[in-house]
Amino acid sequence: MDAAAERFAGQSIASIFLYTHEAHPGEHYPHLTSMEQKARHAAALRDVYGLQRPIWLDSLDGAAHRAYGSMPNMTWIFNRRGVVQYKAAWTDVTSVVEALQHLLEIKKQRKERSTLAPFPIQRLDYRPVDREAFYRGLARNGPKAVDDFNRAFPPP
Amino acid sequence: MNETTLDLVRRYNYADFTPENFEPWMRFAESPAAGETGADFPLWCAETGSESSLAKLWAEPQYLVVEFGSFT
Repeated sequence: MDAAAERFAGQSIASIFLYTHEAHPGEHYPHLTSMEQKARHAAALRDVYGLQRPIWLDSLDGAAHRAYGSMPNMTWIFNRRGVVQYKAAWTDVTSVVEALQHLLEIKKQRKERSTLAPFPIQRLDYRPVDREAFYRGLARNGPKAVDDFNRAFPPP
Repeated sequence: MNETTLDLVRRYNYADFTPENFEPWMRFAESPAAGETGADFPLWCAETGSESSLAKLWAEPQYLVVEFGSFT
């Protein structure tokens, strides 16, 4: 996502990471109890994963996250009036890039004075799943995170 | 924080990843639809602690991409 953010930054498209709650708390990164802790975990995210985009913290009760559906890793795109242009229950860079390219194409057509009428669309998308990387992440959170996940979703 | 807010904070920031704890929050189908105006909320810069808001952030560029997530 950082590479996509950089690619579109020159076209008046900004990208942020909005820090929510710990989806898979463990011994090393437990559930949040303060904004100071939230800022520390956000710094760990930046340092460990090398995140380049600005990180903003949601309130401790997750007001923004809850209002937008509370999925653990979703992506939304807003225009400058706050109108939702794109919403995805999960973050997939290919899907986000396609959406941004489409929005830029719409902008270009508007400049050419095409008459355009908006309409909503729903589409089922697919993302690559790297189960090994996911479990490495759980292990980094702590053994409890692995145990909790395996109890919630027992391995086949 | 009053007791109601504290209870919300505790439930939202669950300590254990169990279906009873995480499923109640997952309400993507009930979130604002494409074409609707999103709700504004205060946000805090992770680096500096300075306060802004989602509306201030989306008002600056042509488009704002917001990825929600956490370390875990």
